[in-house]
Amino acid sequence: MNGRTPRPKPSSTSSQPAGQSLPADQALLATDRLSCRFGGLVAVNQVDLAVMEGEIFGLIGPNGAGKTTLFNLISGLGAPSDGRVLWRGEAIHGLDPARINRLGIARTFQNLRLFSSLSLLENVLVGLHHRARTPLAAALLGSAGFRRQQRQLRQEALALLELFDLADQAGRPAGSLAYGDRRRVEIARALATQPKLLLLDEPAAGMNPAEKDGLCELISRLRDRFSLTVLIIEHHVPLMMRLCDRLAVLNFGERIALGTPAEVRRNPQVIEAYLGGQGTAGGPPLGGGR
Amino acid sequence: MDATLLQQMLLGALLALSVYLPLRCGQLSLATPGFYAVGGYVAALLSTQVPLLAGSGSTSPLWALLLEMLLAGLLCGLLALGIGRVVLRLRGIYLAIATIALVEILRVLNLNLPFTGGATGIFAIPQPFATPLGYAGFTLVLLLAVCWLCAQLEQLRLGRAMAAIRDDELASASLGIDTQRVKVLAFVASAVLAGLTGAIAAHFLNSWNARLGSFDASVTTLAFVVFGGSRLWLGPVIGGLLLTALPELLRPVGDLRLIIFGLVILAGPVLFPQGLITPERLAAVRRHWPAGRSPEPVP
Repeated sequence: MNGRTPRPKPSSTSSQPAGQSLPADQALLATDRLSCRFGGLVAVNQVDLAVMEGEIFGLIGPNGAGKTTLFNLISGLGAPSDGRVLWRGEAIHGLDPARINRLGIARTFQNLRLFSSLSLLENVLVGLHHRARTPLAAALLGSAGFRRQQRQLRQEALALLELFDLADQAGRPAGSLAYGDRRRVEIARALATQPKLLLLDEPAAGMNPAEKDGLCELISRLRDRFSLTVLIIEHHVPLMMRLCDRLAVLNFGERIALGTPAEVRRNPQVIEAYLGGQGTAGGPPLGGGR
Repeated sequence: MDATLLQQMLLGALLALSVYLPLRCGQLSLATPGFYAVGGYVAALLSTQVPLLAGSGSTSPLWALLLEMLLAGLLCGLLALGIGRVVLRLRGIYLAIATIALVEILRVLNLNLPFTGGATGIFAIPQPFATPLGYAGFTLVLLLAVCWLCAQLEQLRLGRAMAAIRDDELASASLGIDTQRVKVLAFVASAVLAGLTGAIAAHFLNSWNARLGSFDASVTTLAFVVFGGSRLWLGPVIGGLLLTALPELLRPVGDLRLIIFGLVILAGPVLFPQGLITPERLAAVRRHWPAGRSPEPVP
């Protein structure tokens, strides 16, 4: 796990929130003083992030820190009150979710949103929607080209399910699956849209330790295989420490730290805000175990 | 069974499919009777006012009916395109309310426009078919064609996108599906089908008035789908056929028939909450009779 090539790092250690992230215009995805307010509540407050191509970027923080809201702003499910979301340097906030997906950003949901009446295979096929374009007449008449394309898409969907060890259950309705399996189907479905950036919202929630290990490995494997960039929210800190190239820590909507896992682990603000002060730098609560 | 009843049943099945189409992508629209009325008025006006289409005055050529259906479908489709883009921003029950309002607006318009004949409507619409059986044959062809299209939909990406939106609209959008476009498409298809059905019905009934597109009709057509089941296209067809036939078949028992009819509609959702036809039940039937004589909805 630790044999990875080093990823781009911020220019200095990250105890100061402002001014040391990588230049936003070189980033695959960047947020620029992004804010989101719900009435009096500031869910996301002036957050600057820059996610570089190819890295696995973690987002941690206590419950209610604004992590999922940030995901919603990036994926177009919510509109920012202030600030910008930049995709390869261009502003994309305010676009609808479908457009943002077509740009190459796919996501999963914290509270699973599978199409429960459709089979696993069909769930993934929905992700392949844009690849299934055929003239209506050819499709209705079941032309040879249409049938060939259908077969090819099915195979592609099956291959994706295979990656997640789910191919043998392809015909089952998604609603009947075990919890951990559903999480994996969501990732497979998101991958079907051929994203450049994958947003994973608590993918390990509800998984047992063995499954978490498997997922950790799987995410690294997917990154290499599909040349993905991954932005991941997860509460399981040891997993994040192992998996991520860089981490940002949110607390009450503000980014309080940014850096490599080692840097974040030493950050006093993080220790106080997120880890409740009992963590000694680099000690077992953060670094070891699972 | 006499052909008049058969024809009514077939019209009922077509209207039920018109309600089913938006429901297939989770949109509860009660606008079907509104477009049905508009389609009927198009056929009624054209065939009574345009000499070329009127034929002898009592009988009209088949091509005239086809042309009227084309125009009725076109007008309803365009109306639905304009209206759908606005009302389909609403969700769930709010969409239902907006479409009820739409039906009412169309009804009041039909009642008061200078050329729709007021409360008495339009009379003496010429007949393209000499007998009810002729109508039934023609309508059956249309119904089978629509059923075939609905069955094909199951395999098309459009059908899959519709099912995905029904299950989870937000997730569909974040997978790159233009949900608004799919919903508008379903709404337009529903309106076109209702318009076509109205054009046939206007000739069949010989007269047309604003009462044919009322809130009552919205509820009745919705009952077809609730009763028959909204998961598969076969459900609305069965629901439409059965519930149109029932009041007529119960005629011998006098006024009691309305009570019985009401009880049946009530019993349907209580005994079969998902409707008569569900994928599970259909699979069970198919296991019993592998030969499968009934029309097959999904492979």
